[in-house]
Amino acid sequence: MKLAAILIDTARELLYRRTLLVYFGIVTLTLLIFAVALQTDVAGGAIASLRIFGVQGRSAPGGMSFGGGEGGGAGLSAEAFVRGMQLAVAFVLYPLGILLSVLATASLVPRMLEKGVIDLLLSKPVSRPALFLSRYLGGLLVATVNLVYLVGGLGLILGLKTGIWNGGFLASGLLMALYFACLLGFSVLVGVLSRSTTVSIMVVGVIYFVSLFVRLPHQNADWPLLITSPAWRLGTQALIEALYHGLPQSYDFGQMAARLILRQGGVAWGTAFNSALSGAGALALATFLFARRDF
Amino acid sequence: MAGGGVFGLLGPNGAGKTTLVKLALAIAFPTSGRARVLGRAPGDIAAKARIGYLPENHRYPSHLTGEQVLHYFARLSGLRDPERSRRVAALLKRVRMEGARDVKVHRYSKGMMQRLGMAQALVNEPDLLILDEPTDGVDPVGRREIRDLLLEQKERGTTIFLNSHLLSEVERLCDRVAILKEGRLVREGNVEDLTRPGGSYEVRAHHLRPDGLAALRAAAPGLVVPPPGPAGTGALRPAAASDTVLQLAGDRAALNRLIDALRAQGAEIDAVLPRRQSLEEVFVRVVGEGEP
Repeated sequence: MKLAAILIDTARELLYRRTLLVYFGIVTLTLLIFAVALQTDVAGGAIASLRIFGVQGRSAPGGMSFGGGEGGGAGLSAEAFVRGMQLAVAFVLYPLGILLSVLATASLVPRMLEKGVIDLLLSKPVSRPALFLSRYLGGLLVATVNLVYLVGGLGLILGLKTGIWNGGFLASGLLMALYFACLLGFSVLVGVLSRSTTVSIMVVGVIYFVSLFVRLPHQNADWPLLITSPAWRLGTQALIEALYHGLPQSYDFGQMAARLILRQGGVAWGTAFNSALSGAGALALATFLFARRDF
Repeated sequence: MAGGGVFGLLGPNGAGKTTLVKLALAIAFPTSGRARVLGRAPGDIAAKARIGYLPENHRYPSHLTGEQVLHYFARLSGLRDPERSRRVAALLKRVRMEGARDVKVHRYSKGMMQRLGMAQALVNEPDLLILDEPTDGVDPVGRREIRDLLLEQKERGTTIFLNSHLLSEVERLCDRVAILKEGRLVREGNVEDLTRPGGSYEVRAHHLRPDGLAALRAAAPGLVVPPPGPAGTGALRPAAASDTVLQLAGDRAALNRLIDALRAQGAEIDAVLPRRQSLEEVFVRVVGEGEP
């Protein structure tokens, strides 16, 4: 019950600051647009025609066709159309969701550590690790609920209107929640170290860009040859690999989410596990530092 | 510190009062030494469940109302409904915050925050109540309310640990006090003992001779008298001579010599009172003048 109190309070605090409410509003607007703009005619258990944003789809031998000729043979199948729609929404709203979640949750730890706040919390019969982890989970919960609302809502609307249910879309949303959990681990670590919301946001931004940057040299086997000094080459290579494996692998998460939506592959478990491990490591270190610190 | 009663911790800024409280609650950790609170190590969850704490400059989540703040901290203390709701309602009433229960705390005045803080500290009906400057920024009426609330708690058997700069408040409330200076305990005892009369007297007399001051001073060098008359005369003002309060810093022998000198001048003595020191005087002497 004590931990639930912290979770609920954290969620309240995040909603009070409205950053994530803005995201919730954007998602709701998106869902409403799809609910209103997507029209289907079902006949005999199959979609006879489908209209979205004024584009008419017709029944064709291979499924629903869009934009093709009268015969419909060269058109896009309804399944591909739905996945394409989901990918387009994910392309815009996943990064926005992650960005707003990072902005909203960056202050969770610095605010908790303010004088007069932390004294009170630590005087209550709750262990320090439980207090800290509940705060983390509260932030993660709100961000996850927003992502699930997006994928669940859009998946449901498209499923009900087209009869095409894409479990990969839901999985991609959960994958993004995992990615955010990793970033949040680093955010709370910086929060404990710096007690600053601004620094937390900046460092998470740096982590994001560094993780994108190091992927290229990680994938390209020839780049170390550009460095002539063997010592420098080895050192730089080690640094690149350490950063690639020690930080959440942002680009790979995006790729995995797209593949899941398009049903072109599953989760790269190695990548997901590696990123989860780095986030968990940051969270564990943050919890350890919080538990040992004088306030 | 024994159970029951009110214990006051005094000391100048930087003496270590708040640090001591933080050590007791495991908000900070000792670099050396050992502490026990309610028979357990600081930070022990079972011990914390029996403690109420009001820190200095306490702050509450600004998105909560006063009532939500109490529910939140009651939940953190492990209280369940319906007991939690009963206590929250009773405390809001007790600290006269019922009318502001639905107001967000960022709209509260300093006095309201202190009253809410007191309610928060009492929400788990603690055995030990630790208060750091509870009357800080509170007006005299509010101070009196807080004092009454603490006296109620004392009656209930709660042990109260009070950390305050307001020595008059401490003197009124506390049974025992300790004085910290530069992190060290320099004086501890009952308030009665620390302010016990000794070496200081007040003598009320009538019909002193205006020109008899020198003789009185010769008899009792520690004599403090009212302001003299016209400069250079060394005499008492006529009004003062007719009804005078003399203060003597000296032992019983000096007091008797003064009485003899007064009687020799034909003065009438109304009263001789042993003078009790205020806690403030004790504090200033110990901290300011370095008295051991």
